[in-house]
Amino acid sequence: MNLITSSIGQGLLWALLGIALFLTFRILNFADMTVEGTFPLGAAITVTAITKGVSPLMATFLGFLGGAAGGLITGLLYTKGKIPILLAGILVMTGCLSVNLRIMGGSNVSLLGQKTFFSAKIFQSLPRYFDSVLIGGGTIILITILIALFLETDLGQAFIVTGDNQMMARSMGINTDNMTILGLSLSNGLVGLAGALIAQSNGYADANMGIGIIVIALASIIIGEVVFGYLTLNQRLIAVILGSIIYRFVLLIVLQLGFSTNDLNLISAIILAICLMLPTLRHALKLDGILRKGVSQYGK
Amino acid sequence: MKRMLAFISAILLFLGVDLVVAPKAASQTNQAAPKTEVVHVGILQMMTHPALDQIRQGVVAGLKEEGLTTGKNLKIDFLNAQGDQSNLKIMSQQLANKDSLLVGIATPAAQALANSAPKTTPIILAGISTPATSGLVKSEAHPGGNITGTSGLNPVTKQFELMHAVMPHAKKIGIIYTSSDHGGQTNAHAFARVVKQAGLIPKLYTISNTNDLQQVASQMVSQVDMVYAPQDNGVASAMKTLVNVANNVNIPVFPCAETMVPDGGLASYVISQKEMGRVAGVMAAKVLRGKNPATYPVATVKSGYYMINKKEMRKLHIKIPAAIMRAASQHGKVIK
Repeated sequence: MNLITSSIGQGLLWALLGIALFLTFRILNFADMTVEGTFPLGAAITVTAITKGVSPLMATFLGFLGGAAGGLITGLLYTKGKIPILLAGILVMTGCLSVNLRIMGGSNVSLLGQKTFFSAKIFQSLPRYFDSVLIGGGTIILITILIALFLETDLGQAFIVTGDNQMMARSMGINTDNMTILGLSLSNGLVGLAGALIAQSNGYADANMGIGIIVIALASIIIGEVVFGYLTLNQRLIAVILGSIIYRFVLLIVLQLGFSTNDLNLISAIILAICLMLPTLRHALKLDGILRKGVSQYGK
Repeated sequence: MKRMLAFISAILLFLGVDLVVAPKAASQTNQAAPKTEVVHVGILQMMTHPALDQIRQGVVAGLKEEGLTTGKNLKIDFLNAQGDQSNLKIMSQQLANKDSLLVGIATPAAQALANSAPKTTPIILAGISTPATSGLVKSEAHPGGNITGTSGLNPVTKQFELMHAVMPHAKKIGIIYTSSDHGGQTNAHAFARVVKQAGLIPKLYTISNTNDLQQVASQMVSQVDMVYAPQDNGVASAMKTLVNVANNVNIPVFPCAETMVPDGGLASYVISQKEMGRVAGVMAAKVLRGKNPATYPVATVKSGYYMINKKEMRKLHIKIPAAIMRAASQHGKVIK
């Protein structure tokens, strides 16, 4: 029971990463590797700031800014330096490792005994793990609403068009370079924010905490899409959040079933591969027809 | 859209129920835990690695020594994060939920446990270099909370004395470690201080991962008289590369961990990882019987033994002082 709450809380916290990657991976249409560097960057900045006596709120905001700066550099390398996006991301990600070590003055900084969002008094009276549910839930709802509102604006629409069709966007007078830079900065800012929150939840920042997180973000996006089907843009944002929670449930089930943790990465890879193949499988096995029949029996 | 709303309402409903029910459930399990005959101990390990695996085996041996045997009165829940820190949180919560005592192997694992477990659950550290600076305990002498255990500080002074005895004319000592490895960094800097105090020159080199080792090591061996390899996961796993580079220019490598001597290190004074785990296991058993971790000082395993690699001695034409050779063949290990 407790662990399900914990998974929901973790899912909500990590959903931020999914939403961030959704902006670049789904809307701008490219895989941004920078996140594996900006995630620990956000964590490093926040944790170091907190240990230096900065308030958690300010420190978390600094984590956001740090991530955004990382994204900005990737954006400039890609648009102005004409470096392919995958490479630009990898370059910034690699560079971030050294920056993180400089910021932290070592490879691991602990937060135990420091004031964080999670040590606030309100959470002491609540049952365990509700701290991550409330902080994760609050943040993700706020951020999703802000992004949904942003995408409604003229600027947001121009941003979407840039991802859909660069040529058309340019012929409409949209500066696609600026849009790409904006998208990367915003997305990586959110990744930095995710790093900031997760470091506070975990109680430490570590130089190696970015390894493999791109898979977690992709999992949220893909699981959300597969499970919830065709949706409007705003609904898709919510689907990413739910996808992130489902991914945590899957990990929990795998752990509860007593699988060796050595196999965990392989299992997540297999689950993702199945999710990615599902549309094809559905078509091949005519699952759609069967599903529709099932639904129509219960009346739409 | 329907599916989505259904899922969201299910989650909200669950959270609502848990919010009302959970506090009761928690107090029930806490009361029941110490009365059961089978003790549940959770072990969280950062990654698979020879040294960390040995620590874990030691913990089990230490528990057994104190009369706690798996299958009889002990149930061990073991999870290994395989170096993926995003999984540490959920793993530590899972262990914190069902076990009455937790063992953390390597710093991030211990930190995750410390953060997830309620303050009433004791946590035993095994193989953490600096528990106090990692924020796990208030001080090593007076832990002050629910955490205590063994610290794996390397016997750097002893190791330096050995190096100096074998190579009395060497002036510059190269130290190479992975910049993102907390243990390696701590160990390297501690060793550098000892070298400086003795009036010799430590030269620190860092790699970001094992792929850099060949190049950085080549640079290093052209500037130093001998090499020290600290307790560093990266360097330990690529020890053979480092030895090859150093031996090409007839420079010996003095490692600090047991597994690194057979891999081509010349000689070392090592503390047994298994022994460190064993002490942690004994401490765990004593805490389970009621000893308070807050006043149970962190044990630093200091006594170790010499390990000498004769193959390397022949290859590099290096003589090791007779007294050390004798000590190694009597109480330590000599690799022929």
